[in-house]
Amino acid sequence: MLKRAFFYTTRKKGKMLILLLTLFVISTFVLTGLSILAAADQSALSLRQSVGGSIKLERDMDNSQNWTYQQGIGGVLVDYTGTPITDADIEKVMSVKGIRDYNGIGFGSVFATDFSFIPGISFGQVRDYSALPSVSNSEYFNYFRRGAFKLVEGRHITPEDDHAVLISTALAERNGLKLGDTITVQCCYDAGGYPNVLLKIVGIYDVTMDDGQFNTTSTDKRNRLIIDHNAMQEIMVHDVIQYDNGVEFFVDDPRDIDKIAAQIQKLDLDWSCFKLTVDNTAYEAVASSLTAMQNMVTGLIIGIVIVSIGILALILNMWIKQRTHETGILLAIGVSKVKIVTQYILETLMIAVIAFGLSYFSSGAIAQRACNLLFSQAAETQPVLEIETPDDGTEYLDITGQYIPYDTSNMVAPDSIEVHVTVEQLLWVYLLGIVLCTAAVTLASLPVVKMKPKNILSKMS
Amino acid sequence: MSILEVRGLQYSYENKKRVLRGINAKMEHGKMYAILGPSGCGKTTLLSLLGGLDSPSSGQILYQGEDIVKTGLADHRRSHVAFIFQNYNLIDYLTPMENVALTAKQPPLPILEQLGLTAEEAKRNVLKLSGGQQQRVAIARALASDAQVILADEPTGNLDEDTAAEITSILKKSAHKSGKCVVIVTHSNELAKEADVIFQLRKGELQIAGSSNINSRN
Repeated sequence: MLKRAFFYTTRKKGKMLILLLTLFVISTFVLTGLSILAAADQSALSLRQSVGGSIKLERDMDNSQNWTYQQGIGGVLVDYTGTPITDADIEKVMSVKGIRDYNGIGFGSVFATDFSFIPGISFGQVRDYSALPSVSNSEYFNYFRRGAFKLVEGRHITPEDDHAVLISTALAERNGLKLGDTITVQCCYDAGGYPNVLLKIVGIYDVTMDDGQFNTTSTDKRNRLIIDHNAMQEIMVHDVIQYDNGVEFFVDDPRDIDKIAAQIQKLDLDWSCFKLTVDNTAYEAVASSLTAMQNMVTGLIIGIVIVSIGILALILNMWIKQRTHETGILLAIGVSKVKIVTQYILETLMIAVIAFGLSYFSSGAIAQRACNLLFSQAAETQPVLEIETPDDGTEYLDITGQYIPYDTSNMVAPDSIEVHVTVEQLLWVYLLGIVLCTAAVTLASLPVVKMKPKNILSKMS
Repeated sequence: MSILEVRGLQYSYENKKRVLRGINAKMEHGKMYAILGPSGCGKTTLLSLLGGLDSPSSGQILYQGEDIVKTGLADHRRSHVAFIFQNYNLIDYLTPMENVALTAKQPPLPILEQLGLTAEEAKRNVLKLSGGQQQRVAIARALASDAQVILADEPTGNLDEDTAAEITSILKKSAHKSGKCVVIVTHSNELAKEADVIFQLRKGELQIAGSSNINSRN
């Protein structure tokens, strides 16, 4: 059987050449398609990861049971007494699969002791102060994530920092400050008696967002001092680090954000005091253009595969029908139907193995060009991305309650991506090809081997 | 004991036309049988049924006492019978050696050489041989299989007179010297005369028209 298959493939050169070319072209198309699809998937994942998505764990301020009310002199004293978010809580959430990193946010307000803030609209004779956030990692802080701030000098604040601060270029210019200089601040709360705390400038940022025209000193983004939690702990005289503005957890792939949020919800945390908020705005904005591009590429691949299967089935069908006489002879001399079909399958696979191997090189040569063409066309049809400011007041992301707009300039699907044909994809082509060839030959052979040998031979004679 | 026995064999085509109407016959080792009859009388159909290329509408074909339908037609074709066709039916991409090797239980070259092919011819593409040579290859394929029954359909139909005589002689030897049961369907009275038993198929019925005894008496 194997010998017969070998003799056929080596002696029917014309037919085998046609089959080789057909399988070569088909496998080149399929392998090219698979490599583009993989590259598109990778590109989509990179884009999703770059736009990101976060889940915020924060204190539930809406639950009245988390507040205590005390009658004081001149009115009611209100104090939040719910469970604070601790580092142990953060550890639990970080154990959920799919979470990449986190950023805890603390809050305070300070006077400038040895420098001055950029003055804003003033309502009476009040000493200038500014709200300031403390962060675990400033790179993940909303301002930077959304492109409202851009670090232009120095570095970001990391969890290892102790008394580090990022200031704006405007504030640096106003006070003649540079990287490595120190500034002193003091908490501005009424209780008083707060220490002066020395902060070292480790980074300087530009405010790129349109900040409006009517800012107080505190709401002016140029006055925003971004510090680490150790510094905040000393400024506010806290026993432990407090994440007053919650902790944002960043996911690997924003597509999975709802599943991850559901997993977090199952954790053993004090949910009477905490709440979760999912921020997937950026992903949802780019998702449609990503999906459109992936759908286009996937549709194209499916089309290629279907047409290829059709052509292959047609060729093999014609080819097997041409061998009806041979089938009749083999049946007449007692060769079993299984052996006859197996011989035909082996012949096809011998050629397929060579064709698929060659397609690795041909698709490697054309995949990048085909991909560039595809993606440039897809990019032309992409709408300009816009993320509108919510008008229902639900999304206040700045610590002073202002919305931070997105810089959407980087949130577009790429118009070209790098394509590599991998051995794994080739193995897929081999696997699919072998299955398809086997199925096509078997299906084409069935009507012939089902015929009675007498009918075949009498027709042929 | 007969090697091949036909009992009440009937066969109808798909268009319901009945071509064989209750045939009974017995065939033995070491004898050559000829089946004569006009065109379209069902000779080739009968041969196909004897060889398991098709199954009868009713009746039985017994090989050494066992119904070939029950033991399996494919097994019957593989183990018990060998065909020789008028148009040779060789596999066109194989050499004579490889064609014979399809069924051979013994080395193919000596058989081919016995039948008059040279070693060089035995390795040539089978389509490059003459008609007579191709028929010798077909006969070699049948003989090499060790099948006890050789079924030949007009084996000399496409051959010239001298070659036809040689092929007839080979078939006769297969019966008389190798002990095979050779059944030949033919139009040729010349070929039929060489048979030990001549059957006449007419109107779907098979009758003995002569035997070697008759031949020898004549």
